[in-house]
Amino acid sequence: MAAILEPYIYEGGIHKHTLITELLEDLGGYLIQKIPAATEVTLVMLIPRDDVHLIEELGKKLLGKLTRAPLTGTEIAVVSPTLASHHLPHSACDVAEFMRRGGANTNMIGLARGMGRRVSLSDNYERKLINEHDIALFSFGTFSDCIKNKKPKLLEGITIPRIVAGGPRNLKTEDVANADLYVGGIGRVAHRMRKTGELSSLDVLLEKVVEVVEKMREDLAKDPLAVLPARAMKEIHEQIPEIFNVLSPAPITLQLDGLRVKLPYDEFHERVEDLEFDEGLKLSDMAVITKSKMKNYILVKIKRESEVGFTA
Amino acid sequence: MEALETFIVESTVQDEGDAYKSIVADIITELVLGGSIGRIKVVIRPEDSLFQMAVILRGSQPAVKVSDMAEVEISNPIKKEITVSIEQEKYLPELLEKLWARYGRTKVYQPERRTLVMSAEDLDAEVEFLKNMVIADPQKTLQSRLVEMAIRATPEGFRVRYHSMDNNVFVFAASEDILKPEWIEEARQMAKELMGAE
Repeated sequence: MAAILEPYIYEGGIHKHTLITELLEDLGGYLIQKIPAATEVTLVMLIPRDDVHLIEELGKKLLGKLTRAPLTGTEIAVVSPTLASHHLPHSACDVAEFMRRGGANTNMIGLARGMGRRVSLSDNYERKLINEHDIALFSFGTFSDCIKNKKPKLLEGITIPRIVAGGPRNLKTEDVANADLYVGGIGRVAHRMRKTGELSSLDVLLEKVVEVVEKMREDLAKDPLAVLPARAMKEIHEQIPEIFNVLSPAPITLQLDGLRVKLPYDEFHERVEDLEFDEGLKLSDMAVITKSKMKNYILVKIKRESEVGFTA
Repeated sequence: MEALETFIVESTVQDEGDAYKSIVADIITELVLGGSIGRIKVVIRPEDSLFQMAVILRGSQPAVKVSDMAEVEISNPIKKEITVSIEQEKYLPELLEKLWARYGRTKVYQPERRTLVMSAEDLDAEVEFLKNMVIADPQKTLQSRLVEMAIRATPEGFRVRYHSMDNNVFVFAASEDILKPEWIEEARQMAKELMGAE
């Protein structure tokens, strides 16, 4: 097994930023996402724990900033009851923004019929789509009565950790059936969340989500994955160059236990299955590769060591 | 009546009512209704899936004429030109729409942002006509904005709605189930109480 990798985000000028990516490659780390914006660049990466200081020193020289981003390599579904102006863009988008600051990749999902109390429901397809993610984060409204009595049915059938964000601060996780965690102070608002109280609630939410992710990572470490998602990503970069033509911000999205490859399934799934590793293994030996519910993408879920019998 | 002199949002749990007040306040700001609403009361009972609102509007606003927002004068009697100098740019889009419809788009000359030049045969009559031309009627758009506000403020699932506009009193009720007559009556009562608050 390779060295323990730590997730970090580097923010700095675009000038000479390739020095960082080169050093990262030499150290055996992985660049997960590169987001250039005019003269600035944001690099999301996994760095071997013992070598973090090397990147930090180089970053300082380049006047950039290296911060730990504990949610790196997770894909979070931010679910809002519908896509109407009542629920979006505030506060669900602010929630997603905070998750991204933590390093996560987020997908906003608006349910087709999630609004209301008695009438709210979720579709089988929607549940399957949400279940493809690592964590489902539901953004609910202001009224405790709804959150306690009516909305939990939207959480049914979700098999990944379910986190609920809502307005009332006095609710406890136990009050919300089916939820694994409840965070208050983030209810429906009609403005961008920028007041102190609102921002601190979002900070609390981020903290709690990080705790959940750390717990999931611990569980994962007990029976590790046959191959690191980041390594599979690197192999895809090397063996399927078409991935560089994908215009999506994250052509390969890492998850805790897999990855989403944003290439059309029918055309590319065989090449993804036949992805070769130095050990003489193929990706299909170590992972289940299916068509994603999201667009026509390829979803790779990596099997555990106990199932495969080895780790690459 | 002062603008927003009464602004009450009540709910079963008062903390939630206060949170909802900020939503309603944001929506009023977004739709620029602050100046038109005198008193407003909202009652929400989530356990009954009920949303009620009563609004008392401040007196009706007069229609906006060109003379209210611009100076109209004959600038060049020989070339038969009329110049409209705009003082309030707020209504410029509506004014341009009307002028383009009357003279044709190419014949309304706009040398700079606040100046419009047109030519006409009978200058005096044309100036008089332009001065009295109504370009915006706030009262007309007010009702549609009020309904928009009600729809935005209501929880989204409450799709069964009742609304009535009588003079300056707007009464609204919404639920996700069939509206009970007594709920509408309650909303009307709220409006009456607001009226009596004078």
